[in-house]
Amino acid sequence: MPSFMLLLYGNPETWANFGPEDIQKAIQKYMAWGDKLRSSGALLGSHKLADDVGKVMRGQGKVRVTDGPYSETKEVLGGYYLIKAANYNEAVEISRGCPSLEYGGTVEVRQVDPMDEAA
Amino acid sequence: MNDAATGTPDVLVDHLFRNRAGQMVAYLTRLLGPEHLDLAEEVVQEALLKALQNWPYSGIPQNPAGWLFRVARNTALDAIRHRTLAGEKNIEFAAERIRDAEAVVGNDVQIEEQLRDDELRMVLMCCHPALPRDARVALSLKTVGGFSTREIARAFLSDEPTIAQRLVRAKRQIREGQVSFALPTGDDLALRLESALEVVYLMFNEGYTAQSGEDLVRHDLCGEALRLARLLATSSVGTPQAHAVVALIAFQAARLPARVDSAGELVLLEDQDRSLWDQRLVGLGFHHFNECAEGTHMSAYHVQAAIAAVYAGAQHAKDIDWKAILNLYDQLMEISPSPVVALNRAVAVSKVHGPQAALIALRPLVEDRSLRNYYLLPAVQGRLLLDLGDREAAADCFRQALARPCSEPEKRFLQRRLEKSMGA
Repeated sequence: MPSFMLLLYGNPETWANFGPEDIQKAIQKYMAWGDKLRSSGALLGSHKLADDVGKVMRGQGKVRVTDGPYSETKEVLGGYYLIKAANYNEAVEISRGCPSLEYGGTVEVRQVDPMDEAA
Repeated sequence: MNDAATGTPDVLVDHLFRNRAGQMVAYLTRLLGPEHLDLAEEVVQEALLKALQNWPYSGIPQNPAGWLFRVARNTALDAIRHRTLAGEKNIEFAAERIRDAEAVVGNDVQIEEQLRDDELRMVLMCCHPALPRDARVALSLKTVGGFSTREIARAFLSDEPTIAQRLVRAKRQIREGQVSFALPTGDDLALRLESALEVVYLMFNEGYTAQSGEDLVRHDLCGEALRLARLLATSSVGTPQAHAVVALIAFQAARLPARVDSAGELVLLEDQDRSLWDQRLVGLGFHHFNECAEGTHMSAYHVQAAIAAVYAGAQHAKDIDWKAILNLYDQLMEISPSPVVALNRAVAVSKVHGPQAALIALRPLVEDRSLRNYYLLPAVQGRLLLDLGDREAAADCFRQALARPCSEPEKRFLQRRLEKSMGA
């Protein structure tokens, strides 16, 4: 079965006025979604990315390393999930339950190239 | 990659973040000093948000509270480093204290004990008599209870900016050194405890009286008031009076599930389905009621708790010992007279001596300006007149009551009474 990468983007300012109870509720929603992925066997793994902007390397022979990428939008890539799904439709259906979408975030769904998996 | 098979170790305890937020703020305030209460709050908020950003990917840690405390501590150390670098004086010392206080929170009895003590100091600081009364309630809810400004505003039917400003002013007063984090002693302690009990009871009443059954925040307010009352009563500075407040709150809270029927309509105490009362809370009430009998001083809370105990102790509404209740209201009128107490006493009078006697007891209250907007006075009068068969006068009273401010369920309740008195 193909694998898909779900990239979760969000605006950190979304949470600025969240109280402890709101935060706990949001976590519980993510947990419920994660549990569903897990119990259905779809979840392959997940990772939170560090809060810094990271490094960008560019080059053609000579490599230039800079901080960034600084994005023009306020959304930052927070982390990713790797899941199994039959096709894009199913991957999108699974992602629909992602609480980030309830809080104004963006989920980018990318299929891992089947040729890569066949190898 | 986080192993997909391990899953989450367990679910989060209800209100874990709220309760731990309060504890963390108290803990950090002790280490940073009360002038840095704002910093403590910022740090805690950041720790909670880090949990939100991490746990969805990594799962809930084995010891969630320990995780939060560790992150809060590290965040505080970072913040201190930044501020020191920026030239702020008198904050570096706090880093030392935070490093020394390194400890694992979550499964260590001694530390939980220390945290309870921090919370206690925090409550007593928030309830300092130098702070305005309404600020004490808001500050306690914010810093000890972990309520957000929005939740406090919703619970008090106020707006966020008003509450936020109240908090800012109170914190400025604390910062300017009028209030310390040290546990007070002697008369000061007595005053602060009294203020804290008042705050807790106000908090409870706010959640209890206007309970509409649709707003969870109000329910949480009652829960937090009970938690704080127990914290005060069972602490090293607990008094019989504090136990009386726990008993009073527990007895009243026990009735919450029965106060509104399945249609969302108000149900009077005497018509309530007692099987719906929370027996665990009734038990808690009696436990603390026994404890409050220890002292020699009979406070208004004692009498109110005793009244609630009489209600709670009756198997059926018909078993309520109204003579005992009238007796207790007589005592309450001596210790702490108020028009509202007099009104409640009149209800007991009607049960013991009949509606006519109660109406006579109510007469002086009609002139009382403080009850001018209190719908319960005409509502009680109407009920008594109805009992006497004077439907027209009763209808008049219910109309008056309806013209005064009250909640939607209360309005519907009065409307039903009005229709009944008009013979509908």
